Amino acid sequence: MGLSKARANPPDPSAELTLPVEGDMKTYEVFTQLERGKPHVYAGSVDAADDRMALLFAREHYGRDQECVQIWVVPRSAIIRTDYERDLVFRLTDQSYRFARGYNVGEKWRAFMSQKEYVEYKEEDIKEHF
Amino acid sequence: METLPDSLTTPLVELLLSIADDKLILGSRNSDWTGLAPILEEDIAFSALAQDDIAHAASLYEFVAQLTGDRADRLAYGRQPEEYRCAQLVELEDGFDWANVLARQFYCDHLDELRLSRLARSCYRPLAALAARLLAEERLSLGHADGWISRLLGSTEEARQRMLAALTALAAPACALCEPTVGVEALESAGVYPPAEGEMFALWSGAVAKTLQGAGVRLDLRPPGSEYTGGRRGRRSEAFAALLDEIAEVYRVEPEAAW
Repeated sequence: MGLSKARANPPDPSAELTLPVEGDMKTYEVFTQLERGKPHVYAGSVDAADDRMALLFAREHYGRDQECVQIWVVPRSAIIRTDYERDLVFRLTDQSYRFARGYNVGEKWRAFMSQKEYVEYKEEDIKEHF
Repeated sequence: METLPDSLTTPLVELLLSIADDKLILGSRNSDWTGLAPILEEDIAFSALAQDDIAHAASLYEFVAQLTGDRADRLAYGRQPEEYRCAQLVELEDGFDWANVLARQFYCDHLDELRLSRLARSCYRPLAALAARLLAEERLSLGHADGWISRLLGSTEEARQRMLAALTALAAPACALCEPTVGVEALESAGVYPPAEGEMFALWSGAVAKTLQGAGVRLDLRPPGSEYTGGRRGRRSEAFAALLDEIAEVYRVEPEAAW
């Protein structure tokens, strides 16, 4: 019995951490959901021979160290993606006004919410409706 | 039923120990594979499934301990070899051959699924509740074993031959898995271990055959004769003592220690 190829040839630590897929295995991307109704969050990937095995591996890898209510696995080949070099995702002209930064609304918002008039209004509003 | 009649305690202990001991020994054997399974994903999955087996054993020992006023740790590690009730299949060394491991797991998981399904219908409610929890996890393990077996049997010629060789070599000890435990008839008639929809060996070999059939394989599985006595009556193979020495090493240093 030989050790797994992954251990026999450890990857170059300075390179991107991907290993060649062995034999007839494919790579699946794994998403976990920690609470019903919350988003599924990318967790990592597994290599597996088929969908069922991928789900099993994903469950054992990513679903056991935390409370997890659902797992998705998606064949990497099913993901349509942009290319780092070729495809433009972000714009090149100055549209920095689109960034949600530079607006100091937090403090103003908190000040507004704690105003006497607002608190009174809210209480009245609740009384009227319920 | 919330409490067990005294007359059924001993038969139930025999039955539960047979399941718990199978799982403790199997889980310990499988743990040897941590770091060695043939692919990285499987290494982690298989180690996690070994922990499931040991966790199942632990909850069954705890259940038995409460019935008899014993301690789970002593049940797991403090008995004499002939007091264990596991089948000989789980004791055998696997020679670090992956096909042997899968064949062993496959045979065991199919029996566990049947035993736990029956216990989950027990009229003794605390037992039914525990069995239902274990059964849900057991089905994951069974899916894992079935998946690997089907995959390898349908893979390259070498994979198929090696898988077939292991399934055939372990068929005889596997058939002894269904050896009944002492007093099981009383548990069946009381509904504590409700009878299955057929004879256990037939159900087990039928379930095994169904997965194999999917891969075009027929194995000749025959029940051991009625006078057969094996692991369920405490007959241990030579490999057992060495394994017990290893897994009980820490326990024996300080048997009364609380963890």
